[in-house]
Amino acid sequence: MKTDLTGAMRYTELNDEELSEINSRMHLGLSLEEMLRIKTYFTNLNREPTELELQSLAQAWSEHSGYKSSRNYLKKFIFGLAKEKIFYQGDAGLVSFNDKLAVALKIESHNHPSAIEPYGGAATGVGGILRDILSMGAQPVAVSDVLFFGKRSKKGFPSPRFIEEGVVAGIRDYGNRVGIPTVSGGIFYSNDFVPNVLVNVGCVGIVEKDKVLGSSVSKPGIKLIIAGGKTGRDGIHGVNMASSVIEKGKEDATTVQLGNPIVKEPLIHAVLEANDRGLISALKDLGGGGLSSVIGEMLLAGNVGGSIYLDRVPLKEMNMRPWEIWISESQERMLLAVEEKNVEDVMDIMDQWDVTAAIIGESEAGESEAGDHLKIFYKGEAVMDLDLEFLTSTPLYYRSYRQVKKNAETTLPRYPGNLNKILLKMLEDPNIRTKEFAVRQYDHTVRGSTVIGPFSGKVSIEGPTDASIIRPSWDYNEGLAISHGVNPFYSRLDPYRGAKAAVDEAVRNIVSSGSEPLAMSDCINAGNPEKPEVMGEFVQMLQGLRDSASVLEIPYVSGNVSFYNETGKTRIPTVPTILITGKIERLDHSLTPDLKGIGNPIYAIGPPAYEMGGSLYYRMLGIKRSPVPDSDPNVLKDRKNRFLEAAKEKLILSSHDVSEGGMAVALAEMTIGSGIGMELDFSSFSLRADVTVFSETQSRFVVEVAKGSERRFEEIMGSQAMLLGYTSENFRALRGEERIFDLSVEKIRNKWKVGYQ
Amino acid sequence: MNREPKVAVVTMEGTNNEFEAFNSLKYAGAAAEIVHIKKFESGARKVSEYDMIFFPGGFSAGDYIRAGAIMAARIKAKLLNDIESFVEQGNLVMGSCNGFQVLIELGLLPNTQGKWETEAALAVNISNRFEARTIYLRVRKNNCLFLKNFEDGEVIKLPIAHMEGRFVPKSQSILEEIVRRKMNVLTYVDSMGKEADYPWNPNGSVLNIAGLCNDRGNVLGLMPHPERVFFRETESDWTRGENRQGMGFRFFLSAVEAIKEKF
Repeated sequence: MKTDLTGAMRYTELNDEELSEINSRMHLGLSLEEMLRIKTYFTNLNREPTELELQSLAQAWSEHSGYKSSRNYLKKFIFGLAKEKIFYQGDAGLVSFNDKLAVALKIESHNHPSAIEPYGGAATGVGGILRDILSMGAQPVAVSDVLFFGKRSKKGFPSPRFIEEGVVAGIRDYGNRVGIPTVSGGIFYSNDFVPNVLVNVGCVGIVEKDKVLGSSVSKPGIKLIIAGGKTGRDGIHGVNMASSVIEKGKEDATTVQLGNPIVKEPLIHAVLEANDRGLISALKDLGGGGLSSVIGEMLLAGNVGGSIYLDRVPLKEMNMRPWEIWISESQERMLLAVEEKNVEDVMDIMDQWDVTAAIIGESEAGESEAGDHLKIFYKGEAVMDLDLEFLTSTPLYYRSYRQVKKNAETTLPRYPGNLNKILLKMLEDPNIRTKEFAVRQYDHTVRGSTVIGPFSGKVSIEGPTDASIIRPSWDYNEGLAISHGVNPFYSRLDPYRGAKAAVDEAVRNIVSSGSEPLAMSDCINAGNPEKPEVMGEFVQMLQGLRDSASVLEIPYVSGNVSFYNETGKTRIPTVPTILITGKIERLDHSLTPDLKGIGNPIYAIGPPAYEMGGSLYYRMLGIKRSPVPDSDPNVLKDRKNRFLEAAKEKLILSSHDVSEGGMAVALAEMTIGSGIGMELDFSSFSLRADVTVFSETQSRFVVEVAKGSERRFEEIMGSQAMLLGYTSENFRALRGEERIFDLSVEKIRNKWKVGYQ
Repeated sequence: MNREPKVAVVTMEGTNNEFEAFNSLKYAGAAAEIVHIKKFESGARKVSEYDMIFFPGGFSAGDYIRAGAIMAARIKAKLLNDIESFVEQGNLVMGSCNGFQVLIELGLLPNTQGKWETEAALAVNISNRFEARTIYLRVRKNNCLFLKNFEDGEVIKLPIAHMEGRFVPKSQSILEEIVRRKMNVLTYVDSMGKEADYPWNPNGSVLNIAGLCNDRGNVLGLMPHPERVFFRETESDWTRGENRQGMGFRFFLSAVEAIKEKF
């Protein structure tokens, strides 16, 4: 007998208006066109859909799960770049690290949940990205998070301070408890992120090459085991929420999942132990869309069908409807595909770690005529029987786009005089000054493998670093470098150059630590893709990502797109956050920015130019339009190679990349962790003094070179290297007759440490 | 006898420093094993099979009640006698961070009365926040077996990462006993080696106590993490320093040597 839990509903006879009504009542988030496609399908089958079937299709076809607006463009522009360097791709991407090990990386946004419920949203953002790495069979070794907050409050939305504190606490409580170090990241403040905050969370993992797990089940009789957290109503329709704009007063906190790191921590151990013993055939994490999106993809990838028994799923709430179990996004869950002969061993391991696990179904031979079917049962009754091809055939759109040409003339303000004062103001700017109030709450030394962390220098006066370095295995003396690149201020003015600058910064950071870049992951944040101007920016941004990566030959091995980051008239800039990894052959070759000794030469690598649009200097002066710095990846590649050659010969003692605030901020920051200053002379540059020191021209570094190594260093660097002066006691600089900087290192440090000490 | 000392690194859900603890012990020459507390509870493993027990840091059971409380409760229920006699026989027990909290809850430290009662607590940091940074410590080695490879009075640096590390004794007399018997072997100091307040004392501990060793010298608990700086290249300021052995190596080598002396 059909009950109200399992029965079919009236659908195929409904008119357009009634279909739209169902769409909104069931929170399906589908377009009318998509609703009609479903109608045709069931009309042809000569039956009505069940509630669960409709919910399942809505999940699979959401923007979040299906990438329906972005996939065509991603394919066209960035998929397949530097393909030969990719080791494997799944929920995360992998590159080779050495003969035995591969690195898995991925960065993903958790923007919508964090805007609604900052603590839970950010915490589950960390949880989700850890699962993506784990699902490759890899041990997570580092977490990175890049956050974008507003500065002013907006009526009807939580205050920026409330959001920031919640997000930081969420990352802290989850990351610290699960025991993976949070080593890298950034925090940006701009009113472009009111009320749409961005939380981009990345993770890097390590795995033995022969233990990398795929996610496809390719033969019948494979048991499907759900392990980890129990399933509840939390996070239902999360993907649909993330696929629409946020409206005032319409947020529904039940769409945000609840995280429990104390369930995750043993789950990681148990899964990795089972993988280590070769007991897992395929693995996938349960994220957006829950079981509904994972099982279909797993079976389709291997051309088999399957049966699932929903009443076997361990629940944490009573009276859940079958469709709720099927699409719940409850956290800390993994789906393991295990051969029958290994099931007992896997269940034993789960039990040893006190991890809940249940066999919920198995793969079946495909039904040749009708294609492979996924059948779902609940208490003995069929609640779904769909052809997998149809279920996973997300409609893909070539959304129309319009590229708005923004003309920007080079503007030059009146010479301000007193650059000392401007530099001090820059150092205490919220976008520049230390983020220790947040980052020191994150455990960055757990696992005992952090070689370079987020800060370096003498204990208690540490300054910033460009990249973190992890020792991924104690058996090797090699380091895994991790950093990121993004500039929302450039992207706002020029999405193409903004994207190129993001890649440039990511690469600079890795190189500045003495490491060779290996691979990138892109986390793209944008507004409503149904608006042609947003798609226009999206395409320009992708062109930028392509132009840089194709020259540099660094692949994007994984990524994520978050659309609909807009509210009313405000929307975020179209901005990519790049997570990057690199490799250093010897740990003792690692470089940090803190100066190492008195009397050593300081060099600039690369000259500044008149490129000030979006720079910290112009933002402080309120100049809104001016050309944004344009990264030339060929120049960057050449400097990278020369830099790494000099680093290998141990000619460089410390290094910092030139980014926001130009050479002035970069050089000043090198004094913070050391208490050592410098005597500099910028007279050889032909640009005006303020442009010389505050220009944010890309692909540049400032370095301290070992005394006596000048000749060899200049030989390697060629005309790229310009001697600026020598390390000394205070921070002083001349430009012709003008003494442009004269500051004590304590003063610099105190400004930079504002808000922490 | 020339066998490797057997060390159990005890875990349960939420303990999360077992990786670096296991590796530190292994690289110092011990036969380390990560043992889930369930295996002791069920009898599949016995405390007496080992030469040393290490309680790693983390957030056992989430630390949602009080740091270390749940793990200590599980041990008290079934294993306390085994561990007490393990200590009485002169075997080694060490706990860092959450592991120190467990040792305090169990009454293994400071145990000035000899009654194995909880004599102190590790309370929430005075800054009221999680603190992850490097701090300076002065070593007063006394008879502590884990500090054999240090100079008495030496100032060292170790990382901390905790929210609850402020040592508070139950009574003044307990504190006096700790001092009289020189159990406070590790003390927070400033960069000049002098006792100083926050931020040098990162949690506001009474008498700047960072670590305690029992009377007999075979039980050490400390808030900092020697297991995270086994190699010099994991110390936060290593790019500025000379090439030497990692700070963590010296702790674990001391323990391994002390055990081997008993063989």
